[in-house]
Amino acid sequence: MTRPPAADRTRWLPEAEALHLLAGYRLPVIAHRLATTPEEAAQAARDLGCPVALKVVSPEIPHKSDVGGVRLNVATPEDAAAAFTTILDRLTPHPSRLTIQGILVAKMAAPGTEVIVGMVRDPQFGPAVMVGLGGIFVELYQDVAFRLPPLTPAEARAMLGELKAAPLLTGYRGRPPCDLDALAACACAVARMAAEHPEIQEIDLNPIIAHEQGCMIVDAKILVQA
Amino acid sequence: MLHRAGFLLATGHSLRIMSHPLDSIFRPRSVAVIGASNAPEKFGYIILKNILEAGFRGPVYPVNPKAAEILGRPCTPSIADLPPGVDLAVIIIPARAVPQAVAEAGQRGIQSAIIISGGFAESGEAGADLQREVVEAARRSGVRIVGPNCQGVNTPHHGLCASWPLLTEQGEIAVISQSGTVGAALMDWASQEHVGCSAFVSLGNRCDVDETDLIDYLAQDTHTRAIAAYLEGIKDLDRFRRVVSGCTKPIVILKSGRTAEGRRAAESHTRSLAGRDELYTALFLQLRIHRADSLEELYDAAKALAYLPRPAGRRILTITSSGGSGILATDWAEWSGLQVAPLPGPVAEALRGLLPPHCIVANPLDLTGDGTAALYRKVVEATAPHFDYQVIIFGDPILQAADVVTPGAPQLVIFLGGAEVERQERARMHQKKVPVFPTPERGIRALVRLFAFDGVAA
Repeated sequence: MTRPPAADRTRWLPEAEALHLLAGYRLPVIAHRLATTPEEAAQAARDLGCPVALKVVSPEIPHKSDVGGVRLNVATPEDAAAAFTTILDRLTPHPSRLTIQGILVAKMAAPGTEVIVGMVRDPQFGPAVMVGLGGIFVELYQDVAFRLPPLTPAEARAMLGELKAAPLLTGYRGRPPCDLDALAACACAVARMAAEHPEIQEIDLNPIIAHEQGCMIVDAKILVQA
Repeated sequence: MLHRAGFLLATGHSLRIMSHPLDSIFRPRSVAVIGASNAPEKFGYIILKNILEAGFRGPVYPVNPKAAEILGRPCTPSIADLPPGVDLAVIIIPARAVPQAVAEAGQRGIQSAIIISGGFAESGEAGADLQREVVEAARRSGVRIVGPNCQGVNTPHHGLCASWPLLTEQGEIAVISQSGTVGAALMDWASQEHVGCSAFVSLGNRCDVDETDLIDYLAQDTHTRAIAAYLEGIKDLDRFRRVVSGCTKPIVILKSGRTAEGRRAAESHTRSLAGRDELYTALFLQLRIHRADSLEELYDAAKALAYLPRPAGRRILTITSSGGSGILATDWAEWSGLQVAPLPGPVAEALRGLLPPHCIVANPLDLTGDGTAALYRKVVEATAPHFDYQVIIFGDPILQAADVVTPGAPQLVIFLGGAEVERQERARMHQKKVPVFPTPERGIRALVRLFAFDGVAA
């Protein structure tokens, strides 16, 4: 659901700011540091504990992985320092033509089920909250559910239940069930953010890793009116 | 003159005399046809003729400065010459003359106008300006407007067919449509089947009265039990949400403009902002509005919602004379989350004593080709206490089939393969307010509407 900013009147919040805003709504965001040198990246990896993910932070790059701006499962602080350099070397277009605020070093979340929670502000309907399953489910099958806020936790859970892939959340073939209440809380918080921040045009928490207990937001994009 | 707008509450005793601001559109005391014509191909003739032939009981005044008499009725030369007490004007004159006519109608005390004429916002900038003039004239004089660019209003219980084609069958489904043809088609089907309608309103350009006003009216209309609407967009979302939240009658909507090209077409058809389809899905779900994907689904759902009682649960028993139809119904029931429960042992035992040996005593219960109305009735009576809903399929020319079914009972009736007998019995069933569906698929899918919002969080 992420589109390029409409005209020039909107901008993507830097990811660290987006995560900070979400944490303010008591949502579980992945532990992270912003590094501006390879040494800082290594130190961040040491502080957070490996494995870590490295992601380039630039308002001009909303789709970081499309341009080689992401490294996952980096195993040691030394690798983190090396990954810092590699990302900047291989980035297209070249970093000299971009505004780069640094590289976000984030702890890798424990494996789980990838879920998306988002919000779009429609000119006629106002804010609409979306939930879906990550990966091919949202891209290939467009398996998503929408609601117009206000949103109750019960209704947010009903949205998750509406997904065609809902069995993946409730324990399919011996997989443990996901914490639906924690996911519902993310959707409700997004609805509240939309109500309390009229400048926010779009929120894309993609993915949230859902676990048997709780969930973790590992990537967040927030589009605001400039 | 006494305006009937607003709510009059007779205090001091339990009788509440209530009226609605749109009463003058649905139940006018008298009607003027502005632009009535002697030319049979013109709407000014067709609509006047339909009003007269549908059996409207109040006075009808053709207005035309050039004719002395139309369809045997003396003409009034101008709106100013009309007698007092005319509630509704149907306006069928060239667009450029409409703003003046609306102003004059207001001065004469006419409460509402249905503007059939086209040439307004749908036809470009000049038309949009004219439409703004109409709205201003209406606001100044307090006249409510349906249209312009619409196919009129038909309220069969009031004998008012200010529309075309001429349809008079009374029923309990109200039809609201942003397309005249789509609405007329629904009403035509309902008339043909003797299901009938309580109202048809063609919205046209919605310069004043919109779908929300109509839902607000129909929610309190005693003849209406279900509301079916064809919409390309919703004019005022906030008000729509408020009014629909307060409406206790089932609403089913066929919303078009779901694709990019469809949205573009909706914009040029009625200037509707068609909007993102998934947001309409969310809105409808949250407001407990049934969504139809086709015109047939809209009709079937409205029929089921208006006439079928709420089920107590999902356990169904299919009783059929056609094995194939029973299996088709069973597949659709399973796909739709209904429970095709087995016959309780003692009930099956009792039925075996009751039925010819070649009948299949199971669910579906197949009476085979010689299922008579008498046999059906025995089985229906014996099994009714054990299931939440009976799906009764008549799959042959079964005489007196209409005597098997009971209005208001939890019975879904499907009739097919019965030719002339089927057509007669279907009409009889519809006259006793038992809806009949033409195929197992359409029947079951309509029945499932009654369960649609079970378990949906508010």
